[in-house]
Amino acid sequence: MTDSGAGAVPSAVDMPRDSVLADTFVMLADTLVDDYDVVEFLQRLAGACVHLLGATAAGLLLADQRGGLAVVASSSEETRLLEVFQLQSNEGPCLDCVSSGAPVVCSDLDDEKQRWPRFVPVAADAGFRAVVAVPMRLRSEVVGGLNLFYATPQAGFVPDQRLAQALADVATIGILQQRASHRSLVLVEQLQQALNSRVTIEQAKGVLAERHSIDMDAAFASIRHYARNHNEKLTKVALAVVGGDLDPVSA
Amino acid sequence: MSGAGMTMATPAGNRGVVCATDARAGQIEDMQITTGLGPCVDAMESGAPVLVGDLDNAADSSGLDLSRWAAFVEGVRPAGVRAVFAFPLRIGSITVGALDLYRDEPGDLTGAQVTAALLAADAAALALLHLNTDSDDAFAPDLETGADYSLHIHQATGMVSVQLGVPVAEALLRLRARAFANGQTLSEIAAEVVARRIRFTAEDR
Repeated sequence: MTDSGAGAVPSAVDMPRDSVLADTFVMLADTLVDDYDVVEFLQRLAGACVHLLGATAAGLLLADQRGGLAVVASSSEETRLLEVFQLQSNEGPCLDCVSSGAPVVCSDLDDEKQRWPRFVPVAADAGFRAVVAVPMRLRSEVVGGLNLFYATPQAGFVPDQRLAQALADVATIGILQQRASHRSLVLVEQLQQALNSRVTIEQAKGVLAERHSIDMDAAFASIRHYARNHNEKLTKVALAVVGGDLDPVSA
Repeated sequence: MSGAGMTMATPAGNRGVVCATDARAGQIEDMQITTGLGPCVDAMESGAPVLVGDLDNAADSSGLDLSRWAAFVEGVRPAGVRAVFAFPLRIGSITVGALDLYRDEPGDLTGAQVTAALLAADAAALALLHLNTDSDDAFAPDLETGADYSLHIHQATGMVSVQLGVPVAEALLRLRARAFANGQTLSEIAAEVVARRIRFTAEDR
């Protein structure tokens, strides 16, 4: 779903790349104000990755600190796309990237069927042929991964890894939020909060999807739209939806 | 760890101590319920763990401002409690309580301790969720332990809550009960709900 609302990622089509890059970082920095919503920030970042890195889809997965990975933001809310991302909690390039702490670049998934027997067919079904994953790192700790999917095999593929890594680093900064602290446990607190926010948003999407017979994409868009227009956090809007106090579709 | 305690929050907002490993753990829970302030209350409300490795030097060691919890700190410090780690028992918008760990010695949790505490909190959240919902047949043995962050499970929870006109906490239990009855995993039944291949009706209540 194209999103042309406030805070939309600058279009890569009509502008020189440097301007797009500068505008994107300004947009991300503008989001990092007091009391911002982490999920919204990461959602914008995922959108920016698609534009800047020429990917078909981008997702951010966080280490759930229980041994798995959880999707926290994605460039599209399409259910099948989220499934492909989430599948990597067990197997796939993003999991390998997070476990090793090193980028994983796969220019043609067809060649990796043995390496990821469950991931490759699902990704292919969803229309993806190439994948890049770069780690989100805080000092020595890997806290998650930025995952880029491409619809076509990328022969001789050299993605702009420096830019991808810079965007992954910005994501890590976003998760740490405003609490500039050197203690390691602040990360635990913020990661868990981000994951829980995402769960709340999913519950709210389900409520709206059922009530209005709309798809999850449209349900998410309505929550996001309402939050932007009323200058509220996504999570707060989602809580009100689940609590039955707000219906952004009818509002 | 020197001890642990658990507080439960009912949907109506009441809070009570569920269990405590010793008198001091009980005191930690009681202090927070009485004053309405403390790490466990903050954890429940924010959905984020609140980890204080040193109550005496919180500003230095954790960058936390504990002045809001002055009564709590004054209450538990004389008993020798030096570090408190509170984990919310939450599943998205569903708040069931908090798990508090305390220690006589200052110091942060290790990565392995964080993992263990999060897994314990996941299990406790599910157990309390069952206690918290006054439906007699909703209990389903836990086929899967721990949190599942598969997004469609939470989407399905929201959908079922509308289908049945019940709070999301109860909707999650209905999903789990149905999965158990069908010999499916929670993830499988949730996928069916999201794909709109099955709906829950009044007979499922």
